[in-house]
This record gives sequence, structure tokens and C-alpha cells, in this order.
Amino acid sequence: MVEWTEHEPPEGEYQRLDADGQLDGDSPAFDDNELLAMYRTMVATRTLEDKMLNMQRSGEASLVARSRGEEATPLGCAAALEPDDWIFYTYRQNPALLYWEYPMAEIVAGDMGAEPETVAEHLDTDEPEVNFSPDYTPVGVNTTNAVGMAMADKLNDRETVTMAFIGDGSTSEGSFHDAMNFAGVFEPPVVIICQNNQWAISEPSHRQTGAETFAKKGEAYGVPHERVDGNDIFAVREKAEEAVERARNGEGPTFIECVTYRMEEHNTSDNPNVYRDEEEQKEEWEEKDPLDRYEAYLREAGVLDDDLAEDVEDEIDEQVSEAVDAARDVPDSEPERMFDHQIHGEPWNHAHQRAELEREQNGQNPFTDFDGEGFDE
Amino acid sequence: MSEIYPAPASERDTSDETEDIDLVTAVNHTLHQEMAQDDGVRIMGYDIGPIGGVYRATEDLLEEYGDERVIDTPLSENGIIGTAVGMAMAGERVVPEIQFMGFSYPAFGQIMYALVKIYDRTGGDVEVPLTVRMAYGGGVKALEYHQESTETYYLHTPGVRVVCPSTPYQAKGLLAASIRHDDPVMFMEPKKIYRGGEQSVPTDDYTLPLDEARLVRDGEDVTVLTWGAMVRHAVAASEAVDASVEVVDVRSLSPLDVDTILESVKKTGRCVVVHEARRSLGLGAELSALVNEYALDRLKAPVKRATGYDVHFPSHNIEDDYLPDEERAQHAIEAVMNYEF
Repeated sequence: MVEWTEHEPPEGEYQRLDADGQLDGDSPAFDDNELLAMYRTMVATRTLEDKMLNMQRSGEASLVARSRGEEATPLGCAAALEPDDWIFYTYRQNPALLYWEYPMAEIVAGDMGAEPETVAEHLDTDEPEVNFSPDYTPVGVNTTNAVGMAMADKLNDRETVTMAFIGDGSTSEGSFHDAMNFAGVFEPPVVIICQNNQWAISEPSHRQTGAETFAKKGEAYGVPHERVDGNDIFAVREKAEEAVERARNGEGPTFIECVTYRMEEHNTSDNPNVYRDEEEQKEEWEEKDPLDRYEAYLREAGVLDDDLAEDVEDEIDEQVSEAVDAARDVPDSEPERMFDHQIHGEPWNHAHQRAELEREQNGQNPFTDFDGEGFDE
Repeated sequence: MSEIYPAPASERDTSDETEDIDLVTAVNHTLHQEMAQDDGVRIMGYDIGPIGGVYRATEDLLEEYGDERVIDTPLSENGIIGTAVGMAMAGERVVPEIQFMGFSYPAFGQIMYALVKIYDRTGGDVEVPLTVRMAYGGGVKALEYHQESTETYYLHTPGVRVVCPSTPYQAKGLLAASIRHDDPVMFMEPKKIYRGGEQSVPTDDYTLPLDEARLVRDGEDVTVLTWGAMVRHAVAASEAVDASVEVVDVRSLSPLDVDTILESVKKTGRCVVVHEARRSLGLGAELSALVNEYALDRLKAPVKRATGYDVHFPSHNIEDDYLPDEERAQHAIEAVMNYEF
């Protein structure tokens, strides 16, 4: 058993807030509203994801991938963006979505297995101010798309910035290398975040790279890079803001490695007890928990007290509960929805197969068309 | 009824010692067996080590054979196939795992450029004996790209065999044969029936031919051609209809056992194909063309295909509406039974 999942222990990365919530350096220039907005997002993420976990266990929802212990990374990075910017995300960035008020009910309904058209029709939700790509299941693919979007923005002199989130495992995929290479060559306004949580399902991060750090993968492509304590909301946000500003000023891409730790399973079909020693690092990382650290800071700064914390919790419980109710009200998709949005228009095979499916649903035989012109009743 | 149709007597009639195992366990035991017999057999892939694969197909192999023979790789399908090809060119017999068939697309470059091509472009001098294991198929309420049945991409490609077991017995014999074969093999494992029922399987090693279809059920009126996770639906449908149905497990999808297929269709005069892949240009299209080209004058009805639809695999709410099942297979059989020229 290796002592550490990475080749190098995660020391020396940029940090502002220590494990006790003590701030190093100047106070970040956020007003109380912003400080509380970030706190609320972290609490909302845990509440929502735990609720979804319960729904998965009771058979209501499909797989759930939680971000417990990693919330500061997607949150701090996404918060550095401005309205109209873009986020290309995968499956562990709920804090980024919730910070920008992506409708919770849509997250839940999607996980309950409805087709996107059905969700859109039955949920009356507002678009978030920041644009979100569809979430990507295959890893690494989003990075190339994000770089392409940023290239288009650059070619059109737009000031929008594109941010892509990947995990440590994604940096092994060819798409990541293609994306970094194009980013280095064309210098588009893109920020690629490696949310290094030390595990790609069962594979530790030292199985993804021989490099000293993931950040250094930027070196070969001429992409400026940073390594940040991914559980430190202030450090993450500061470095992300610098990267976003550089991008917006036409100074090109940045690659940021945020060092964090996957406290729980990869997703609900995974059992980490098989491949990792629970005691190995969990305690150490529990001490570095991003929410505990941030909460300690807020309390010491006088921004948060017991009463307010309780209010936030109540408010979020209600919000989550409303979102779940709304998602539960989305009916199961009609079977023929599977033909929607395959291509524009309806070719013969789709029209014919849709008719077959309808007949099948009605208990009729769908195979009685023998001349290609319809069905013999 | 068990989800896996019981093996015919020929498969059970063995004096060897047997064990009752499911399909994924058969895969696991075969990997153990082949690695024990040949030091050149190595397996590669991600999550295949301590966790034993996300479906536990590689369980305990790391403990038994060590990390030079059970190689946990970075998360890169193109890297896995590309390096496995190189290892095979150096004389190893590599069994890479692609976690889900829908994850094989990043490896498409290496598959097309190297895996399937090297034997031909060296005039037969260099062999690439890889068996690429891939879990495939829907019905498990998984995420997008975890439900794919896109064997057509590989069926359309020369230079590679495509094999698909439908029972634990088939899985063991076909996997052993694939690993020992000098051609590259895409080995499709129907994950829906990984744990879909146990079957008595010889503990001793045996192989099954990689170019023969399997007669699952004898019949006179109509032939059903199918494979993988759909075999059980075809069998159930054949028992439910008022006709004598012959069920052929195509098993070796490429190359096809044309003799068995045509012989059966010529005998029955009717043909239905049941597969879960999309219909257009799926293997059903090729089988239908084959029957039309070589058995037209024996046909009493057009060939019908009970398949998935030409769409992206849908969300969980409606995946069961996408997938063929006993009822869809039954409808197709009844339609061709009732047809009159």
C-alpha cells in the first residue's frame, strides 16, 4: 500500500486558510453577502446530495456522485466567473451549479431518469446567469469542447471566459492532451480546472501520472499552471480569479490543479472499502474539510453565528424539499420521446420506428408492415 | 425461470467436475485459468486491480499474479489498446479490459490504425493476439455511454473477430478460445446477465469454436437469430408462440457462421433477428441481406428485425421501451408466421 495516493504529498500548494480556519494574509475583499452565499452553497450541496443519496437508496434516483469534502474547488472556481461565462462540467460539480442558481429540481429530475425534454416541459425554472454545458459523463471530452468554445470567443472578440472541470483521471485521456495543446497554441480564454481528488474510481492519482504534480502537465503545452489547496475556498477563488482575469484580458489559458480528496465513494455503485484503507487518509482529510474550515473562519470573522447557521440550514432544507417535490411531479417520460432531437426533421426510419413503438405500447403487433407504407390493421 | 436459458444437453452432459457459476464468474475463472497456463497472458485496464473490476470480473487476479501481469493503467482507452498492441507485437498475449463498450470510442484510433491492421499490412508476419473484453448492453439503469450495444462499429471492421457469449458455459469456452487465438478479438460481455443465473460449468478448461453459431432450440417454422443478452428473450418468445421456433445464438458475430444460419433459414423458411443494437446497419441488416441473397427462393415471409431503435440510448424512465424483450420478439415471430406472399 502506497503511503500517499499522489507521487508527492500535497504540500506546498497555494493556501490562504489553514485547517483551523485561520487566514494567512489580507482579508479577502468579499462582503458578508458574498461570504454567506459561498457558505450557503456548500451547505446546500451537502444537503441536496445527501437527499439524493437517500433517493438512490430507496430506488427513486439513479447513480449519485457526491462532492463531500471537495466543495471548495468547484465553488471557488465557478464563483470567479461572471454572468455569460461558460462552465463545462462533469459529475462532481454541484457546488458550481448551485452557486449560480442552476435549478435544483432539474438536477434531481435528471437523476430520476426523465428525458431532458420531459424535464424542460414540466419544470418552470430560470436559466442561471452563467451558462452550463450539458454535463459530460465520458471523462476528458469536455476539455476539448471548452477550448473550442473559447477559441470561438477569441475569434469573435467576445469577452466571455470558458471554464472546464475535470478530475485527476481525466488528465490521462487523449482529449485532455489535445485540449491543452490547442490551448497552448491558440491561447484562448479558457481555464481548465483539475479537481484532483486523488481517486479515479479505484485508481489512485499516482496511477495517472509520473509527474511530480498534475499542475506540471501544463508545462509541456506552454499553458500557465497553478497548484492550489483545493479545500481552501479563498485560495481556490483567488487563483481562479487571476486565471479568469488573465483570460478576459486576452492573455490566454490557465491550468489549475486543486488538491482535494474524495471523502466518499466514486458514486453509489462503487464500494471504496474494497480498494482503499478508510483509515489511511480520511482522518487527515477530515481535518482539512473545506466547510469546517470556512465555517470556523466565518464565525471568527463575526459573519456567522449559531442562529444564522440554523436559519441557513432551515432555508436550505426547505429549498431542497421543494426541489425534490417539483422533481417528483415530473411524470415519467413518454416512450416515444426517445425519438426527439436525434436529428432535425423525421426521417423514414424514425417515423416508422415511432409508429412501431406506439403500436407495441398499445399491445398491437409492430411488425405487420410488409410494404414499407404503413401497417395492415 | 432463470434468466439464462439452460444449456442444451450437449453442454451439460459432461463427466468432468463442474461448478455452478454465473456469467461474470465464468469470465473471472477463465482469466484465472488462462493466466495460470500461460505466463504470457497479462490483463490491462483501469479498476481491474484491487477492486477487481467494476463488475468484479478480475477479482483476486492481482493478488494471485501480481502487478506485472495485472496491470492497472491510467484512465486512457487509447493508451490501453495502443500499448497492448505493442506488447502483443513483442509476443505477449494481452487481455485488455474496456470498462464499458461506450468507453471504447477514445480507443477507436488505435483499434483502426493498429489492432486490426498490422496482421494484414505485414503480410501475416506480425500477429496481434489481443482479446479486448468489454461489458456491453442496456437494461441496468446506468448512465449514458454505459448501456451501449454498438458492436456494428467492430463488425464493419476487417481484421478483428467479434464474439459474444450468452451463458456462463459459453463465456468460459469462448473466452479461453479468444485468448488462445492469434487474431485480435473483441469480446462482448452482456452485463445485464452477468449475474443473471448460474449454470453448471466444467472446472476443467475447454474451448468453443470462434466461427460457429450455437443451436439453442430446434424448430421447423421460423428461425430466430440472436445473441448475448437477447437470447433469453428469444427463447422465452419461442416458447410462447404457437409455432415451432428454431433459436440460433449467432455467438460469433464476426466472422459469421453463414452455413449454420442459412441451413436453418432454408429449413424453416422464415427468419427473425432479435438484437438490442440500433436497427439500421445493425447486424440484423447484414443477416437479412445474407438471407435475401442466398435463400430468397426458400423464404415464406420477409425477414423481420426486433431491435432497439435508431436513437441514442434513452434515459432510465424509458430504456425498457427501447430494449427488445420477449414480447417484441414474439410479435416479430407472429408477424412472419402470419405473412402470406
